[in-house]
Amino acid sequence: MSRDLEDQLRQALRPVDPDEEFAQRVMRRIESERAPPRRSQTRRLQWWHVAVAASAVLTLIVVHDWQTRREQQGLEARRQLIEALRLTGEKLDIAYQVVNEDDA
Amino acid sequence: MKILSLKSLLALLSLACVLCQSAGAADGRLDIPDFRALEDKASEYVTVTLDAPLLKLATGFLDAQKAEDRAVKEMVEGLTGVYVKSFTFDSDFVYAKADVDRVRKQLTTPGWQRLVEVRSRKEQTDLDVYISMNQGKANGLAIIASEPRELTIVNIVGPVDLEKLHRLEGRLGVPKLQIDVQAGAAKGVD
Repeated sequence: MSRDLEDQLRQALRPVDPDEEFAQRVMRRIESERAPPRRSQTRRLQWWHVAVAASAVLTLIVVHDWQTRREQQGLEARRQLIEALRLTGEKLDIAYQVVNEDDA
Repeated sequence: MKILSLKSLLALLSLACVLCQSAGAADGRLDIPDFRALEDKASEYVTVTLDAPLLKLATGFLDAQKAEDRAVKEMVEGLTGVYVKSFTFDSDFVYAKADVDRVRKQLTTPGWQRLVEVRSRKEQTDLDVYISMNQGKANGLAIIASEPRELTIVNIVGPVDLEKLHRLEGRLGVPKLQIDVQAGAAKGVD
């Protein structure tokens, strides 16, 4: 009985040459396990679109902010310019009045 | 009070034009202290610092449809700086006379010519108007006005055109100077 068991074990565990396509099947399986599933590729593309859209919106906000600040700066400069010319005129007026009184 | 007649002033200005051709010329710019300490003591103050880029920006916001803005734009054309420090106080002589004299001292350098000097002992008021000339052309205007409760320093840098200033008559509070620049004569105000 033990001899039969040994024979059976030898038969079961004898080395068997794989066929020619064995290596190809193994490589195909390895490649398929490496490739990301389609579902995560789609998710990456969605994130990229979101990033581009967010960048565009952020750029628009920054440009709008810059334009608003520029306008405020320009209006303030205009106000200061007019105030400066008004003060200049006020002092020249004093000088003129004094000179005119002297001429009179 | 020491006052020059307007005719004398214009004659002096013409003479100054000739003299300054050979003399060293000022660039028309004053070094005005920032007077930060005075800002805390003043009841009101005005600080204007407009260099060439800011002047250009300011003129871009002038309304071409308004005659007043058009006149300002003409006046400002070519200017490279407008600087003003003006303070009003609630008590007398909060500012140091030495600070004002330090600015006046700059106007003794070649190129600067005094047009008007007003001194009032009674009112303790001083007013000086200077013009800077370079090769017969004005390149700066300076006004220093000191009163017991007010100090004003104005410096306009660039080709200050009296004729354009003349065109600002009646606008922005600028008086009707009625200075006939071409004829060199002065008229009185009625």
